[in-house]
Amino acid sequence: MTDSPSDTETTESTLDAYAADFASAVGAESWSTDFDTIHVYITPDQWVEAATYARDEAGLGFFSWLSAVDWAKEVEVGEPVDDVENLEERFEVLCCLSSPVDASAVILSTSLGKDHPSLDTLVPVYSGAAWHERETAEMFGIDFPGHPNLIKLYLPQEFEGHPLRKSFALGARIAKPWPGTVDVEELPSTENVEAGEGSE
Amino acid sequence: MTQLDSRGIVEISDGGVSVELRGETMNLNIGPQHPSTHGVLRLIAEVDGERISKLEPAIGYMHRGKEKLSEVRTYPQITALINRIDWISGFANEVAFIRAIENLMGIEPTPRAQMIRLILTELTRISNHLIFASSYPLELGAATPLMYAMREREHIMDVIESVTGGRFHPNFNRVGGVKPAAGGGKTQKKVTLDLPAGFYAAVENAMDRAEYSCQEFEELVTGNEMIQVRTKDVGVLSYEDAISFGVSGPNARASGVEFDLRKQETGLLPYDDLDFDMVVTYNGDSYDRYLVRMQEIRESIKIVRQAIDSVPSGPLQAKVPRVLKVPAGTTYVRAENPKGEMGYYIVSQGGRIPYRLKIRSASFSNISILSKIAVGQLIPDLVATMGSLDFVLGDVDR
Repeated sequence: MTDSPSDTETTESTLDAYAADFASAVGAESWSTDFDTIHVYITPDQWVEAATYARDEAGLGFFSWLSAVDWAKEVEVGEPVDDVENLEERFEVLCCLSSPVDASAVILSTSLGKDHPSLDTLVPVYSGAAWHERETAEMFGIDFPGHPNLIKLYLPQEFEGHPLRKSFALGARIAKPWPGTVDVEELPSTENVEAGEGSE
Repeated sequence: MTQLDSRGIVEISDGGVSVELRGETMNLNIGPQHPSTHGVLRLIAEVDGERISKLEPAIGYMHRGKEKLSEVRTYPQITALINRIDWISGFANEVAFIRAIENLMGIEPTPRAQMIRLILTELTRISNHLIFASSYPLELGAATPLMYAMREREHIMDVIESVTGGRFHPNFNRVGGVKPAAGGGKTQKKVTLDLPAGFYAAVENAMDRAEYSCQEFEELVTGNEMIQVRTKDVGVLSYEDAISFGVSGPNARASGVEFDLRKQETGLLPYDDLDFDMVVTYNGDSYDRYLVRMQEIRESIKIVRQAIDSVPSGPLQAKVPRVLKVPAGTTYVRAENPKGEMGYYIVSQGGRIPYRLKIRSASFSNISILSKIAVGQLIPDLVATMGSLDFVLGDVDR
């Protein structure tokens, strides 16, 4: 467990040490502490095991959140990735676990293929994962086998598509592309309004 | 010893002295429109007479898709969106988001701006808790405290408005600092706009009123026998459930979770230099959740009084590029919102808009506990439990 050291240099080295310890304990491929955020990159097979380790051994009993990032070459919404040619298409599932006593927090990260993405559920380890997994399932189309009740959370049950996928276009932006030349819509036929003012 | 009859199961204990009847269960829809919910929430309850045997909150009636909308907006535009996640504490929502951008850009906000952010965050916290203090007794059937708390809250809203120009949605944080204060007319290059005249006096006055309000509440509500009967041992949340479900903020601290990001996550805002206590109680019932919030108002008053004496001089904003281009990288920054842990996970690919923004809101996790702690309760107790969790549907649905 890390204390909160005063100067930045110590913070970085303790963060690194903490991340390295955690990564080696769960057998992670790699880790990073960029921007003071600990990412530990693991394979989907290690997912539940790593979360169990985090809860039981590392003291990270607080379930903060679980979500995903869609790394896609074809982007309907937003700006595409800079280096599109070398981008590997995948879903990155993230789970942030933190300590209920000090500032330590770890974000577990794993990559899933684009075809039928599926990842074991964390509900037996952290009860709070239930809603977060339901949200991720409906928004990204990721399956969580073993989840007790993987129905849609926000969306109507009959809703088709996965809104947070990059291939899911945002309706409002199709109707009005962005960034547009004019930010504010013009009033309907400005001259008529001005002419009408006098008469009323 | 059990025996079935046409109505269901009849349980007869030894000697047949106490007979517990368990009739057929019935599904009861509470909501989507219900006056005691702050927003639109639907609870699907399976009730056995007056007692709840199963409960499933159905959310999403206010889902505005903020994460998707953020993928087509520039960072300054997103600040306006995230103001509206938890609209009771709009200012507090902004701070972690702006700090996340500053983190990615490597910009250090000015000390003066940091202290102003801290003061306004604490004012927001008091205002949020006063809203709770007003609406919670109302949900239990006491209408008068609403008027008392709303009256005192108005002084705080006036202060926030005098600085930011907005009551609910300040949109006041800028990367590197805060916006030059409102009320100074058109921005001219040579004129430095700052905190409005009489700000400190107005804050002192608002704090005196808030403190008076706390005392009034202690006499009127806290010690009230009926309030205690309605809330003590109702909706008990255990320590283990609190952390496993990710319940944060005052709800968690009422269950003995000794965690407050103002104490633990140093470096977000300059809380280190200020003397205040983390409020923790250990019963985990609705009454404790109420007590924690009332005590937190007092602690926040303490923080604000110290902070206004130590606002450093200097510029309101650090030097930042005119067009915000955030370098590639990912970061997660969280802050202690009045309702709990509010965090932003930003994935930037470089450029003016984020590739992905994950919003971790407190109420989402806080309300997911309801299906666990409401089982076995009477329906009126469900309202008492629900109200004590202090959620806002905008913060649940995002």
